[in-house]
Amino acid sequence: MSTFLGWNGLRWLNALTAIMVLLVMVDAFIGHYRSGFAVRAQYTPFLSGGAILIAAVLAGIAPHEGWALQLLLVTGAGGVLTGIVGAGYHHYYGITSKPGGYGWLLHHLMHHAPPLAPFALSAVGALAVLVATGLRGSGAVLGVPLRTAALCVVAVTLAGAALQATLLHYRGAFNNPLMYAPLTTPVLSAAAVPWLILTRGRWALLSVTVLFEATFLIGFVGLGMHLRGFDRMMGGLRVALPNVLDGPAMTAPALFSGFAAAGLTALYLL
Amino acid sequence: MRRAAPLHPILVHFTIALTATALAFDLLGRVLHAPGLAVAGWWTLAFSAAATVPTVATGVVSRLGVDIGEGEARAYLRLHMALGPVFFGMLVAMTVWRAVLWTAGREVGWWYLAALGLTAATMAVQGYLGGELVYRWGAAVEGRHRDLRQRHASDTPPRPRRDTRPEPAHPAPGGA
Repeated sequence: MSTFLGWNGLRWLNALTAIMVLLVMVDAFIGHYRSGFAVRAQYTPFLSGGAILIAAVLAGIAPHEGWALQLLLVTGAGGVLTGIVGAGYHHYYGITSKPGGYGWLLHHLMHHAPPLAPFALSAVGALAVLVATGLRGSGAVLGVPLRTAALCVVAVTLAGAALQATLLHYRGAFNNPLMYAPLTTPVLSAAAVPWLILTRGRWALLSVTVLFEATFLIGFVGLGMHLRGFDRMMGGLRVALPNVLDGPAMTAPALFSGFAAAGLTALYLL
Repeated sequence: MRRAAPLHPILVHFTIALTATALAFDLLGRVLHAPGLAVAGWWTLAFSAAATVPTVATGVVSRLGVDIGEGEARAYLRLHMALGPVFFGMLVAMTVWRAVLWTAGREVGWWYLAALGLTAATMAVQGYLGGELVYRWGAAVEGRHRDLRQRHASDTPPRPRRDTRPEPAHPAPGGA
């Protein structure tokens, strides 16, 4: 396994996991605070995400300690489950129990609980499981090599994130051409990963690398544009709380960068 | 130092100086084939990336305290806010690229230098916007915005500017 600045790929993936779970929790907090934490289950992402964060930090400090890796494995699996259950909650409270139900599907998808957002926690949890498995000395998860498994997680997550962003940008009427950005390189990256896994060709590797790099930069562009979005509202960030609650998702674009970085790590360090 | 002193206009100088110096070191190291300059280029860029994290964070904090109404200044501010993370992303990408070259013991190439030049150009635009906000409109200066000074009902209203243009010609009654 290759190293970069003294760390192997698994340790870099672990660091990315810690950063991304923090980003996921920030957006979950904003969304759940906006709805007033009406359901107690809305606290779950912070328990699960917080546990993953602590476990990732401990695994970063002590990557050879069995108990730290066991903790990361368990909390990661918990994150995967929490995300799946959360998606069920979002579906029920965001669509099924709303007036009109499926008859108003598009309206509910755009204006109520984001249907795919909880899967971000599942994706981060899956990365944590991969890291824990790899650091324990195993080269595969469920029979799938670590590199392939990590690339699959990244591809599926980028595709889901692009779909969720499309829903919300459609709500925003694509009022800025840059709102089409999530439909470009993230989608192409997700599509190119199976090509790479199946062919292992040089051109496929080059294409996926370039697409991941572009996706990494697009995430930062999104972050800047979302900050600008807050400031387009009356008072801008001077009136931070209401505008952050009503504005675009604060940290969501950074997840594109984070998962693209995870993809590059898997490509070159695993 | 006051607790609420704006740190962002202070910290930006570290980012600007370190990034520009990294470009200069790497360019000179490439032209003169001086390995010492290339090592200096790597470390200044690495410190720049590290220093830019608090720069970006304090930038957001500064925005929370700046009272700017709609107008030209706000347009500058929006662009400054949008460009900040873009520059930071470019800087992180360049730092990773530079680290790969440094760990492999390879000399920087012209493509790398062009990309770092583009990053520095983005930083220059960003710095220009920030400079305008501070020195032209007084953003983050004593927490006030110069154009929004308090007016009272008893103040004399500002005099309208005299229009020196000729009166528009009205069409004659009954048509041309």
